[in-house]
Amino acid sequence: MSQEPTSFLYPFIDSEERDEVALVTDLSRSAAAKMAESRQLGTVTIERSLTELQRAGQEMAERFGLGGRLFAFGNGGSATDAAGMVDLFLCPPSGVPLPALALVDDRAVLTALANDVGYELVFSRQIIAHARSGDIAVGFSTSGGSVNVLNAFDEAAKRGILTLGFSGYEGGSMATSSSVDHRLVVGSDSVHRIQEAQSALVLELWSIVQRGLRDGDGQ
Amino acid sequence: MMSTEAAAPEGATDAAAWGLALASLAMARRFAAGATMWCVAPRWPAHGSHVAVEFVHPVIVGKRALPAVHLEAGELVGAVRLLSCPGDILLAIGGSGDAAVEAVVRRCEAWGLTTVWIGAGPHPSGPGADHLIWVDGVDMARAARSGELVLRYHLLWELTHVVFEHPGLLTTEQQCRDDVCIACSDEGRLAEITSVHDGNRAEVVAEGNVETVDVSLVDQARPGDLVLVHAGVAITRVEEAR
Repeated sequence: MSQEPTSFLYPFIDSEERDEVALVTDLSRSAAAKMAESRQLGTVTIERSLTELQRAGQEMAERFGLGGRLFAFGNGGSATDAAGMVDLFLCPPSGVPLPALALVDDRAVLTALANDVGYELVFSRQIIAHARSGDIAVGFSTSGGSVNVLNAFDEAAKRGILTLGFSGYEGGSMATSSSVDHRLVVGSDSVHRIQEAQSALVLELWSIVQRGLRDGDGQ
Repeated sequence: MMSTEAAAPEGATDAAAWGLALASLAMARRFAAGATMWCVAPRWPAHGSHVAVEFVHPVIVGKRALPAVHLEAGELVGAVRLLSCPGDILLAIGGSGDAAVEAVVRRCEAWGLTTVWIGAGPHPSGPGADHLIWVDGVDMARAARSGELVLRYHLLWELTHVVFEHPGLLTTEQQCRDDVCIACSDEGRLAEITSVHDGNRAEVVAEGNVETVDVSLVDQARPGDLVLVHAGVAITRVEEAR
């Protein structure tokens, strides 16, 4: 195990440390504090975003009702969040299954586009190929600045596709993009806490969509 | 065993946080010794990919990349058996009724892997894991979507890297059993049969080590069977759950 860069300043602190109970106690306090912080952030973010969630969810329900489909995308952990959202809409624990596709799942398409036209176009090219007016595009970027996500929003907006952007910090470039119809921002500067709160936001959005579809059926 | 494997000290913190702390200490020690972490999440592949990318490509610049691999659903038992080395980590994500997860987890002791199982809902009644990281009070379908599950593995990553800042504690994992005569103890060790020589002798792997044992007490022993070995004899087959 290599030493941390600063440990030469404190030669006796790290290498001689043997009190594992003290360490585990510290770790455990830190875990408890972060769990509380995460839940608090999720609750506050949902409260703060409720109007936007309801508007977005209602418009999504209308589009699903007319045969629209959902396309989700993002990079890294956000790619898995996009895949998780698709799983929730496609295989819901209750309610009606809804057509949703993740643009991060097909290794042939992703590598072909990255190799031939560049990584910044891997999602926009798929939007061009698949999506049509009446569909829904959902992009995830904790920084709000992922170029391939922003490019996909631009293509989607040109085609009459409803666009939703999930981001953290203060929204990044997503906050000022005219191609994004609904912005859901988790006000945190921790990528991990942002992703956790985004999961809660997506779950809330999904339940609003399901409610919207039920109400629509009843009319 | 390590003193820290005791229950959380009264009032010190909550049990869930204590469990995360212990798992992170164990994971950091295994990583420091060269382990790879194999991630399986057959029902929740997005979470399997997410946890692996956290370790391989840290969100905080300067944190070391750690070897973690998400194995897509398929023949998971065969894949982990072939790819893993004794001392590696198996991180599973799934509910307690997830047969594909159970099938892998139950063999890890024989393969010499440290197991961390993240799930929700009822606790597993079959094979346990070395570290059970459980979301109580909600079912798996909700925990997987509400942020609770991702919170658990984010914290495992964060705490593992905190342990790396304490190199003095990375190498003190005690190897128990060294001074215990297995033949004299009452203990049966879990082993997986790798090949059967004739009706009576078989090669097995136990705690990651290959040894030859007497299997004459086990009816029709076959490669892949799990058996309990005591003093060089396979005394019984361990049946698969359900």
